[in-house]
Amino acid sequence: MTRRHFALIAIVLMSATLIAACGGAPSTTAPTTAPAQQPATAPAPEGRKFTIGISNPFISSEYRTQMIQSLIEVNKEYKDLGITNELVIESADTDVAGQIQQLQNLINKGVDAILVNPSDVNGLNDTLQEAINKGIIVISVDQELNTPGVYNVGIDQKEWAKISARWLAEKLGGQGNIVLIEGFPGHPANVARMEGVEEVLKEYPNIKVLGRETGKWDEATGQQVMSNFLASFPNLDGYWTQDGMAIGAMQAVMAANPQKWPVLVGEGRCQFLQLWDQRLKEDPNFETIAVANPPGVSPTGLRIAVNMLQGKQVDKSKLGGANGLSFIIPVPVIVTKENFQEVFTTVCKDKPATYLLDGIMTDEEVQQFFVK
Amino acid sequence: MKQTRWQQATYRHPYLFALLLLVIAFTANALLQPNLLEPTTLNSNMRVFLPLILVTIGQAIVMIGGGIDISVGSIVSVVNALLATQIGLSGDLSTAGVMMGVALFVGMGAGALNGLLIAYVRLQPIITTFATSFIYAGLALFILPNPGGGAPSRLTAFYRETIILWLPLAFYIIALLLFIWAIMRRTRYGRYLYAVGGKAEAAYETGAPVRAVQFSTYVISGLMAALGGIAMTLLTGSGNAQVGDPLTLSSITAAVIGGTPLSGGAGGITGPIIGAVILGLIRNIISFAGVATWWQTFVNAAIIVLALAMPGIIRLVRRRRG
Repeated sequence: MTRRHFALIAIVLMSATLIAACGGAPSTTAPTTAPAQQPATAPAPEGRKFTIGISNPFISSEYRTQMIQSLIEVNKEYKDLGITNELVIESADTDVAGQIQQLQNLINKGVDAILVNPSDVNGLNDTLQEAINKGIIVISVDQELNTPGVYNVGIDQKEWAKISARWLAEKLGGQGNIVLIEGFPGHPANVARMEGVEEVLKEYPNIKVLGRETGKWDEATGQQVMSNFLASFPNLDGYWTQDGMAIGAMQAVMAANPQKWPVLVGEGRCQFLQLWDQRLKEDPNFETIAVANPPGVSPTGLRIAVNMLQGKQVDKSKLGGANGLSFIIPVPVIVTKENFQEVFTTVCKDKPATYLLDGIMTDEEVQQFFVK
Repeated sequence: MKQTRWQQATYRHPYLFALLLLVIAFTANALLQPNLLEPTTLNSNMRVFLPLILVTIGQAIVMIGGGIDISVGSIVSVVNALLATQIGLSGDLSTAGVMMGVALFVGMGAGALNGLLIAYVRLQPIITTFATSFIYAGLALFILPNPGGGAPSRLTAFYRETIILWLPLAFYIIALLLFIWAIMRRTRYGRYLYAVGGKAEAAYETGAPVRAVQFSTYVISGLMAALGGIAMTLLTGSGNAQVGDPLTLSSITAAVIGGTPLSGGAGGITGPIIGAVILGLIRNIISFAGVATWWQTFVNAAIIVLALAMPGIIRLVRRRRG
């Protein structure tokens, strides 16, 4: 028994030593980081193409699908101009350790810039720091990281939530009973959004929050939670919810069809606009609001990365965030009754129901963040 | 006869197939990623694989003893939450040492609860550990409701960057564990373990302390999960109450790829260790082979299914030929 195991240990150690010895020799003299350091230390020589990598740890959502798709499209623009190479995509459902592996693989492939949609607020710090040390530009898209040296590109989640919360409060005339359906408690985006909602509601002391529950950013859960709320509070005056859950919540209201419909907020997705349209046929006075949460912030981030790689200086006065490294992207579309028909009949016309209302900055628009 | 020789060989060395798979996966990975063999690259891979390797060893021992442990991922989360909150980003090394010791006891305690319910109250392992997994997951969330906390970078750097004689730290840890296992395997306890997992009634009749052995496997599993949690904390340098979740199923998959049957009484820890490394290498291969984005998850799962089915396929082919 033991002999075999000892033999195995010996084999493992021996082969590993052998492997290490074979591969180890050159690394002592030639730093493997050399190619990646070029863009940061010196302006890129003419004709040198940049490689950009994306690390995405979550694939089961339309947001992420649309994000990857538009990243490929935007990169193709630069590729056709001979500025970038093929986009290197690391995208799979995975955990923090798995995303660390994704990032290590990107570093290993010698990319010049990494776009990362982080699965954890701090768990990637050391790995991202390693990338930065190798001269790689690291941009966190969609979600803000407070890691020194990491740039952020995304919307202001708090302000985003305030838009629909304020609309709701004004629609209610500053009084009434409402419920809140939130995303994952503790998730940074959700925390920021709920802070925004609370700030708005503080200005309207006559609006009472009867209940607050999580819909886990999931349509079905949102529907279930809303059904429960409608059963407990038949005279509900309104509710606030967000991304992914608004469709489910509205479907719950449609199913219950109460005498008096609560004032409700929606989400920037074509499927929601379809429900809106459906409801308008029954009640021409129906109105709601849909604020886009654009997956396009990632391709915008790619444009920013390309411009930085080309040696342009970032205008730090235009940046915000805790470290002053955040590019804040304005919300591209807000749908209200004024522009509903227009958006519904044009943008959503030839798009699948799952399409999220989006906006990608052009290369020209991105120039506002750089020193002229 | 060839047929019996292969069967005998795989019976005696349950890790043989996994080893073959490892050679294939490693070769494929090395061809696609030439610098895989450099110490720094080897290290960056092994430090990511180590948490799963540690958890898988515990899982394999439970499986050899005829059980299964669905709660390992949650135990990792509890340990991670505990360390991240108690040590903190600016914590000193002595606190860290004490808390890691505490973490090991927490892991063993969680394992002991599992063992108590399964071996002495005689509840079904799969249901029991599934239920306790929620207790531990809830505990982790209670300790650390929002992701945060962490470990000082001096400490994480030790885990992330230690390379001794061209070999990453993980190799020495694995070698040490294999050494301990080799000794344990020889003792009376080692023989009881396989007897209990193979046929508990028969083991009981021959006087083996069945319950105590079953109980012990869960304590070991809890201990290994705690070690996995420590490794995970040092890898990420941060706390997240859900960090361990994906490790549960991966540890079972790795153990099975490593030749540990779900029916118990056979296998070892060598195969499962290899199994865990293979799971990691597959992700690398997909990454470096440039598999199209939308196919990555599919290809990953397909390779795992193939790896799981391969021993059966080989047996089938050999029987046909024989």
